[in-house]
Amino acid sequence: MDLVLIAEMIGAAIAAAMIYTIIGIIPGTDETAVLVPVTLILVLAGVQPIIILCFFISAIIANNLMDAVPAAVAGIPGGVMTSPMVEHAQLLKKYGLAGQSLRKMAAGSLIGVLVSVPVSLLLASSLIPFAHLIQAYANPLFFIGAIVLALLSKNKALALASILPFALLIEGMRHLYWGVEAIPRGTTVFISFFLGITIGPVILTLFELLDKEKRESMIHAEPRTIVLKKDRFEWKWLNPFKIVNKREWVTSGVASLISCFTFILSPVGVTIFLGELFARRRKNPVERSSLAIVTMNALANATYISGTLIPLIALGIPLSPVAIGPAHALFDAPPVFTATRNMHHLLTTGDFIWATVIGAGIAIIMTYVITVKYAQSICAFVFKHIPHEAILGLFCGFVLLLAYMDAGWINIGGVLLIGLVAGMLHRWGVNYGILFMTLYAAPWLVGLFG
Amino acid sequence: MTLQRRDQSDTIEIWDDVVRIRDLILAIIINSLTTLGGYFAAPDDPPMPLLFGLIGAVTGFILSSFIIKPKRTFEENESER
Repeated sequence: MDLVLIAEMIGAAIAAAMIYTIIGIIPGTDETAVLVPVTLILVLAGVQPIIILCFFISAIIANNLMDAVPAAVAGIPGGVMTSPMVEHAQLLKKYGLAGQSLRKMAAGSLIGVLVSVPVSLLLASSLIPFAHLIQAYANPLFFIGAIVLALLSKNKALALASILPFALLIEGMRHLYWGVEAIPRGTTVFISFFLGITIGPVILTLFELLDKEKRESMIHAEPRTIVLKKDRFEWKWLNPFKIVNKREWVTSGVASLISCFTFILSPVGVTIFLGELFARRRKNPVERSSLAIVTMNALANATYISGTLIPLIALGIPLSPVAIGPAHALFDAPPVFTATRNMHHLLTTGDFIWATVIGAGIAIIMTYVITVKYAQSICAFVFKHIPHEAILGLFCGFVLLLAYMDAGWINIGGVLLIGLVAGMLHRWGVNYGILFMTLYAAPWLVGLFG
Repeated sequence: MTLQRRDQSDTIEIWDDVVRIRDLILAIIINSLTTLGGYFAAPDDPPMPLLFGLIGAVTGFILSSFIIKPKRTFEENESER
């Protein structure tokens, strides 16, 4: 490991922490949709894998913590992972403790990183002996994963019933493209379908706007009112031991530890389940909500870090909702990374440790200080100057671009179709994890009928 | 008065925030043009098209942020404590 490389990794980690500090705060930004395109461009640009991993680890930590910031100061979720925190953050805000809940979020994030980085690295290396067995059954495992996630979701029967039709839609589109020779036979369209699923709910709403009756029934919303209270900064806040109490340290640490073992489950599901499970026992509402905020932030990082690192180091196949979602470009980004030649095959164990430690270390130090000291000013800037329309426009631009790159003009229609179906299923209660697992299992599943 | 009423009457909620339909259409058009424009203007040598496309996307985002005003009412006050 030479000094130039270390300097480059540090540079990448700082850049990621800064970029995702801004992106994270913007309300409504989906983790997958903001992480995949940027990681993908780095991979395709030929940046060294170890630098990309360092960038990615820093990005998820910054994005997770900053996603929580709007919840603390304004009561709106910054992303999917923070929706379970909103209720608790609202309560603390009502008691005039918005500043304190911000600091607790930052400290929770820190705990999540401290626990999950070593545990994930250890767990990954202990899984390596079983890797061949798991890899051999990867395709059926994705299918089983979809079924397990469906059984754990709220709408079990609906989720189960939608797996096969959705797989048929995916494979149907691919065979159609081969049939009309939009792409050479055997080339698999993946990333644009994936993004289509991610922004499915938006595509569905945009289509509904074209229906006059529907449009008129949708018009109701009043401008959102956001009230921001400014706290004067105190230096002692930079000390995490002064921010969280002993119970919060222990609870969030234990929750993070458990979540590393459940890396195969959906991160938001685990965050809600464990966060509520541990917090529910406190009777005092303020205590309960602080505990929930610390624990859920720790869990957000722990689920993301374990969900990325364990499949990446041990398996080389994206066998977790995080790996299949936000971290997808680390596993599969043709022509640079493929199923048989990706980060798993290119990096050594030492590389993984270096990239993770540098990325996580820099991100958590930077975002911790930023959250404690500047979060409120950054929030004020974003709320005042960034219109939601621009964010939605940006995603539409991304989708068009990646759709065209994957299979030409025809695929823009294809991605809209997949987005429509995925958006409808998502609105009915089929979560993203199930749809992503189905996307992966589709060729195998449909192949069974051949 | 009538203008203001019309302004309010075509706002809807998507993805947890309020947007005005006309502004949303404008933002989508701007971003599609800049993103695909960047992609096609790039030299045909991977990964340049993707890079130019992403730069186009960011440009479109900044442009539409300048043109469109956020639909949020914002209050800021100093805390006593």
